[in-house]
Amino acid sequence: MTAVIETEGLGKRYRNLWALAGCTLSIPAGHVVGLVGPNGAGKTTLINLATGMLVPSAGTIEVLGGRPAAGSAQLARVGYLAQDAPLYAGLRVADHLRLGAHLNPGWDAELAHRRIGRLGLDHRQKAGTLSGGQRAQLALSLAVAKRPELLILDEPVASLDPLARREFLQDLMETVAEQQVSVVLSSHLISDMERACDYVIVLVDSRVRLAGPVDDLLATHHLLSGPRRDPASLPDGVEVISASHTDVQSTLLVRTSGPVLDPAWTVSEVGLEDLVLAYMKQAAGSTRRHDHRHLEVRK
Amino acid sequence: MTWLTWRQFRAQAITAAAALAAFAILLAAVEPSLSGVYHSSGFASCHGAVCTGLASTFINDLSGGGIAGVPVTPYMIVYFLSIVVILIAPAIIGVFWGAPLIARELEAGTFRLIWNQSVTRTRWLTVKLVLIGAAAMAVTEAFSLLQAWWAAPIGKAVGFGGGASIFGETRFGVFVFPTHGITPLGYAAFGFTLGVAAGLLVRRAIPAMAITLAIFAAAQLITPLIRPDLFPTSQTVTTIAAAGANVSLKANPKLAFSVTAVPGHPGAWIISSDGVNAAGQPVRTMPAACEATVSRAFGSHRGTASGPGSTALNNCVASHGIRVAESYQPASHYWPLQLSETGLYLALALALAGCCFWRLNRRRS
Repeated sequence: MTAVIETEGLGKRYRNLWALAGCTLSIPAGHVVGLVGPNGAGKTTLINLATGMLVPSAGTIEVLGGRPAAGSAQLARVGYLAQDAPLYAGLRVADHLRLGAHLNPGWDAELAHRRIGRLGLDHRQKAGTLSGGQRAQLALSLAVAKRPELLILDEPVASLDPLARREFLQDLMETVAEQQVSVVLSSHLISDMERACDYVIVLVDSRVRLAGPVDDLLATHHLLSGPRRDPASLPDGVEVISASHTDVQSTLLVRTSGPVLDPAWTVSEVGLEDLVLAYMKQAAGSTRRHDHRHLEVRK
Repeated sequence: MTWLTWRQFRAQAITAAAALAAFAILLAAVEPSLSGVYHSSGFASCHGAVCTGLASTFINDLSGGGIAGVPVTPYMIVYFLSIVVILIAPAIIGVFWGAPLIARELEAGTFRLIWNQSVTRTRWLTVKLVLIGAAAMAVTEAFSLLQAWWAAPIGKAVGFGGGASIFGETRFGVFVFPTHGITPLGYAAFGFTLGVAAGLLVRRAIPAMAITLAIFAAAQLITPLIRPDLFPTSQTVTTIAAAGANVSLKANPKLAFSVTAVPGHPGAWIISSDGVNAAGQPVRTMPAACEATVSRAFGSHRGTASGPGSTALNNCVASHGIRVAESYQPASHYWPLQLSETGLYLALALALAGCCFWRLNRRRS
């Protein structure tokens, strides 16, 4: 299994502010990878670096083994759906499809038309008059019909209403199944990610806090509740991610490869959202000492 | 890329075509009556020495007999407007074609869409610059050629020395030179790339438009100052007597000459004329011995010498060994100067385009 995105000490500085610093990660191929993290974690900056919209201030990044946006061949291998799904407001749906056909040697016209037909978009309609959901779908169609090996989506559903969001993700899932394409999608909506992704990377403060297949992560994390006691008294091989205590009771989120045998604990499954939030919270606690100033990159 | 460039440029292209058509219709509508004056004045069919006088008659006919006592004729209005259109066309192109070209993509975020198709940014910009740049040059030159066709009789009359009032400029004139020949090509290329570069650097269309306009206007104001030096000037030193009626003395209060023509070089563009002594050094003060004739020549107001006194003054100044040094561009330098000025602006356009490519690939997004 090769990496679709591989970074080493990657950093991006805007004047004296680091939007991303010392980021080392490897995103495996063949997954729908959810990139989650709080605002300012560097998700969008990482995606901008991966698509070549930015050049690194430090470190290296390789996408599918090549330098991002290094040439037309590299561009053809990566599909990118930017935040807010930019389209030419004055051009019609049909014009966008012609644009895709003219600018991409690997353009799959049949796929594009099938998708537009399925979405029920009017070819004569101008992109500026489409709803947010339709815009996102058309932009995704453009990114998919160029037949990339890797599809990068930056907050694709953030501006959509719940119904459009569900439809978009549904459509994305079907496309991934059809096209055998690797996907990296960033979001701060963990519930959406839970529906779409089979691999998750939690990025906090430019650093990877958690990475792995969703199934593995859920299988190795447990929520323990029981009489109040010191978390340090847990056996070796059990890592406490978060702990909360009342006067009489303790609730712990732990990571362990083996089963929890202590009968004093009530063991329950943990959802992806709680799991991810626990890691973000842990990271926030541990990094508060760093005096990093962060930027939320919206554009 | 060609298709997309055309698709995004279509509306502007139609606007330009409509403007060009309106311009052509206006000129074509006035042309028959202009031609009528040209023939009725006798200037159209003149031969030899009478042409100079008939050229003046023709220009006077065009300038005289204004409507309702206003000393302005339709010919003057159309002539003025047509020159203004050619002067500002490159600025308009820079503002409305150049500045939004990249800035609008940056503002709308569509650069993220277009730079992630299987076409490099370099190729994307190359196609846009070449196609739209060519259109900019073609449109501006078309305006210029239409005007040159329409104003050909006027240009001929000015060539015969009949120029007066608004029709007074020779083809080296401040307004005529940059609007005729090949210079409009250079200005169009410069205006367009200036707009593109401003849009890319400022990243917002409206401020980029304002910057484009300001820089282009500044370039248009500065160019007449450097134009004489764009090609080596010719020099000649003549005696005041030899220069004859082409030279008149000025003393305000310094010694200065006003030269209207260079003997043996009809149609020359005179850039400067100074008094020099026998050794060739400049003389800027009136010889003391001639002061008496100065007051006779000029009376109470010191301007250009004329009348009987001026001959005495000329003789007095000449008797002190003062001659006239003239610096000029002969008529044969018209095209070399055109090439120099056009080349200068094309070079600036190329430099700006290079700046765009550098910026586009260096600091992305």
